[in-house]
Amino acid sequence: METTDMSGSNSENLKTTPESDVIVTEGVTKVYAADGIPVNALNGIDLTIQSGEFTALVGPSGSGKTTFLNIISGLDSPTDGKVWLAGKILSEMDGNELSDFRRDNIGFIFQAYNLIPVLTVEENVEYIMLLAGVPKAERHERVIAILEAVGLKGVANRVPTQLSGGQQQRVAIARAMVSEPAIILADEPTANLDSKTGADLLEMMRRLNAKTGMTFIFSTHDPMVMEGARRLITLRDGQVDTDETR
Amino acid sequence: MDGTRSGFSYYFMILKIAFRNTFRQKRRTILTGLAMIVGFTLLSLTIGLSDGAYGNIITMFTRNRIGHIQVHRQGYLDKPSLYKTINNASTVGETIQSIAGVEVWTPRVYGAGLGSVGEKSTAVQIIGVDVARETEATQFDQKVVEGNTLTETASHEAVIGKGLAKIAAATVGSEIVIVSQGADGSIANDLYKIVGIVESGDDITDRVGCYLHIEDAQELLVLDGRVHEIVVIVSNIKQVDKITSAIKTQLNDSTLDVAPWQVVAKSFYRAMKADQQGDAISRFVIMLIVAIGVLNTVLMSVLERTREYGVLKAVGTKPVQIFWIVVCEVVIIALASICVGAILGVLVNYLLSVYGITYPEEITYGGMKLKTLYAVVNVRCLVIPAITVMLSATIVGLFPAIKAARIMPAKAMRTH
Repeated sequence: METTDMSGSNSENLKTTPESDVIVTEGVTKVYAADGIPVNALNGIDLTIQSGEFTALVGPSGSGKTTFLNIISGLDSPTDGKVWLAGKILSEMDGNELSDFRRDNIGFIFQAYNLIPVLTVEENVEYIMLLAGVPKAERHERVIAILEAVGLKGVANRVPTQLSGGQQQRVAIARAMVSEPAIILADEPTANLDSKTGADLLEMMRRLNAKTGMTFIFSTHDPMVMEGARRLITLRDGQVDTDETR
Repeated sequence: MDGTRSGFSYYFMILKIAFRNTFRQKRRTILTGLAMIVGFTLLSLTIGLSDGAYGNIITMFTRNRIGHIQVHRQGYLDKPSLYKTINNASTVGETIQSIAGVEVWTPRVYGAGLGSVGEKSTAVQIIGVDVARETEATQFDQKVVEGNTLTETASHEAVIGKGLAKIAAATVGSEIVIVSQGADGSIANDLYKIVGIVESGDDITDRVGCYLHIEDAQELLVLDGRVHEIVVIVSNIKQVDKITSAIKTQLNDSTLDVAPWQVVAKSFYRAMKADQQGDAISRFVIMLIVAIGVLNTVLMSVLERTREYGVLKAVGTKPVQIFWIVVCEVVIIALASICVGAILGVLVNYLLSVYGITYPEEITYGGMKLKTLYAVVNVRCLVIPAITVMLSATIVGLFPAIKAARIMPAKAMRTH
């Protein structure tokens, strides 16, 4: 039941947490300067998220959902507090370490899809595996399998602008999942989709969660996503308002 | 996972992204490329014209006057003297002729004197030439603008410079009396018939030059077969240094100096080199303008794609990999521009090497008159602009590339 193994790491980077705790935050605070006026986006959030959770972060606009996702993924740094991701303190990693860590441990699904516009569907999905140095044959095999799983087998050679919003979000999901990261972070994944497409994608992610045991964390306003989540964390004014497990 | 296992594939992907990015904003890519193409072509033209002009001047200076290599008695070049002579000119000449790359050699005799035509007297430089050899070496006969060249046997004839003819009010058919000092200390004087007037392209020489058959000059100056100078013409000017060394080795005579044209005409050569260095300033200015244009467009392109770079970073692309994507974009545009610039540069230089640019008025350089400026097409007019364009584009591309590499993903993805 003990420490996550990070052999070779500095001992200060280790936190004695149960192996099942993939994300631990302690007093995470984020203060932005908006026109010179400090704005507290997060006010000392303490949270533990365990492996395999299917969690939704909800709350009104400006409650700090996206900021929290950015901070737990190392895309942004907290003003105060600490984040342990798979036992490592994110703030102690440099730019390259963070890039490698995100590449190997986190898959992102963004509200605006954020695909690389000059790459085809296949290349977008393959990209992260290329960064990770996965051999060509294995890359090809995995791309075919994931595109089939998300129902995009026939559009592998299209570029993002030739796809619908739903298709682009499926590509984003495929890209996030293809390297089988421990955590998938999704920022409003259904916000730009019609309800049927959104429901289909949600169902697909639930299936993948059940099948692979990956940890899913969503920020959402979508009642359907909230309903489907097994844990619902409500943020308000940068603090955890409620934390409900179903 | 081991990042090196598919390293080639990754770098190919970087190139692919960079290549496709260049086609996204076609107008901007074309503008960036145009700045580089114009810079390349201007640089190529500057070098082509500069090399053409200096090449022309060097050819005129060497082929028409001083030759490519000269042999003298030791110390003659620094302090010319009637008494510093080469005693066995024929033997020396034949030895030189046997060296590969030597086209022709010709002996000369020099002396100072007073020339009188009728009532008018003026200082003259006596130049004794072997008419047949001099004609072969420096096209002496073609410089005669009035009358005829000297006959190949000594006949007490003189050909004088155009300037001297004017000063002495001499015409073809006039007689000139030359008074000088013989090498034996005697007063030398003799009468020569002016058979021709020459225009060598060098005003200074033309104002004092009085050409005699070498045997007439040797007789006047009591040199008894001795000469002051042996001029050597080589087939390829680029081999001058090599042939100079070969001549030194073959002659193996410490009493003789063998000097290439750059040493013979030291001050002319230095002035020309200084002029060429001055050209570097104009090249720098051209490239500065290009660099500012490239910096502006590449920086704009990076700023517009801030969000994309944020996404690339978010999914695990390292800062250095983003840096290379931007640098590759600049290099791809630079390579394409260099190809187009090379075609234009060669074309423009070729046309100017055939038709040239005629000066509104004749200009004088190093005493030589130039009427038309011709360009040349050579390796320099391609290689230097290519290196300059590539280097300046890459250097100015570094700043936007570093900016892209340092982007904070969360902040970048908030931009639109």
